[in-house]
Amino acid sequence: MRIALLNGSPKVKNSASGTLLEDLKGYLEQKAEVVNFGFHSAAITEETIGELAKTDAWVFAFPLYVDGIPGHLLSCLVQLEQAQIQNPEMRIYGIVNCGFYEGIQAEFALKILQNWSIKAGFFWGGGLGVGGGGGLSMMPKVEGGKGPKAPIEKALEILSDNILKKEAQDDQYVSVAFPRFLYRLGAQIGWRQMIKANGGKTKDLEKRLVK
Amino acid sequence: MKLIITDLENFQIPVEGEYQVIKPNGDIHHCIGCFGCWVKTPGECVLHDGYEKTGSEMGRCTELILISRCCYGSVSPFVKTVQDRAISYIHPDFVIRKGEMHHKRRYQNVISLSAHLYGENITDVEKETARELMQANADNYDGLVKDVSFYRSIEELEGIVL
Repeated sequence: MRIALLNGSPKVKNSASGTLLEDLKGYLEQKAEVVNFGFHSAAITEETIGELAKTDAWVFAFPLYVDGIPGHLLSCLVQLEQAQIQNPEMRIYGIVNCGFYEGIQAEFALKILQNWSIKAGFFWGGGLGVGGGGGLSMMPKVEGGKGPKAPIEKALEILSDNILKKEAQDDQYVSVAFPRFLYRLGAQIGWRQMIKANGGKTKDLEKRLVK
Repeated sequence: MKLIITDLENFQIPVEGEYQVIKPNGDIHHCIGCFGCWVKTPGECVLHDGYEKTGSEMGRCTELILISRCCYGSVSPFVKTVQDRAISYIHPDFVIRKGEMHHKRRYQNVISLSAHLYGENITDVEKETARELMQANADNYDGLVKDVSFYRSIEELEGIVL
């Protein structure tokens, strides 16, 4: 079995989507061949489409942008639909990381991906919405089912089982095992550190260009 | 002011009152996820390609009108990319609304959101997804949904008045 992991983050390195796919790959690669693809811009090459056509399942991972799929990835999906790859056995899975705490906020992005898979003539295998994605790439992996990423790792393990069995799952939603108020506080501290590091002041975060 | 974001290069729909149109005019760069519009040049995207001010233009509008091909229940890649590039309309800090985490307001205007979506074969499921997506957008903008309508063709869409 040949499984394609499609990273739909605009970031080439250090993305939460990449972290999630790496964790998933750890579960998949002992029983299947795994191939990585980067969908970091608004167009994909004919060569990439040709390579994707030779696989059995595609797993998309991408950040939630304005409740949906990032514009550049949506453009790639339109291109893939137009390529008319004839493979009704192709399984499509999706992983959406949300900057918000609640994974359920990925619900509509997964529905859009599901609608696309039907229109493109593929088989929807289900997805996973991950809340608290803002800190994922900085969180260490803790062995023994512990640590803030534990619920996500469990969900990825279940997803990997379903991918390997070529089975579908209902969309699942998880969040980091970290209190929401601390996640919110951590983000607020982070924005203030970032604007100061860029030479700005904390009050600039409030800036209005229109009065 | 009505702010219209559309993928129609030849936009010909009549509009009542004051309005501004953002439509394809040269290449648009996609959002690169840098958060520069929050922490480098707050309120404006750092990518200067003519679409960098949409966030502040949203801060001036009373109505946001999306006119777009319907792609799987989403707006089209162009309209979505403009939306992605305009997250400076909101503030990076989080607030809890309706029990869920969202972003704090930057501006005081309450946006009334409409979507006019066209396409030959929009399924009922895609229509339902689009309605849910627009409500989610309105929740994140801390605004309201005014209307979500579907059209079989651009010609049918051009018969309306905005």
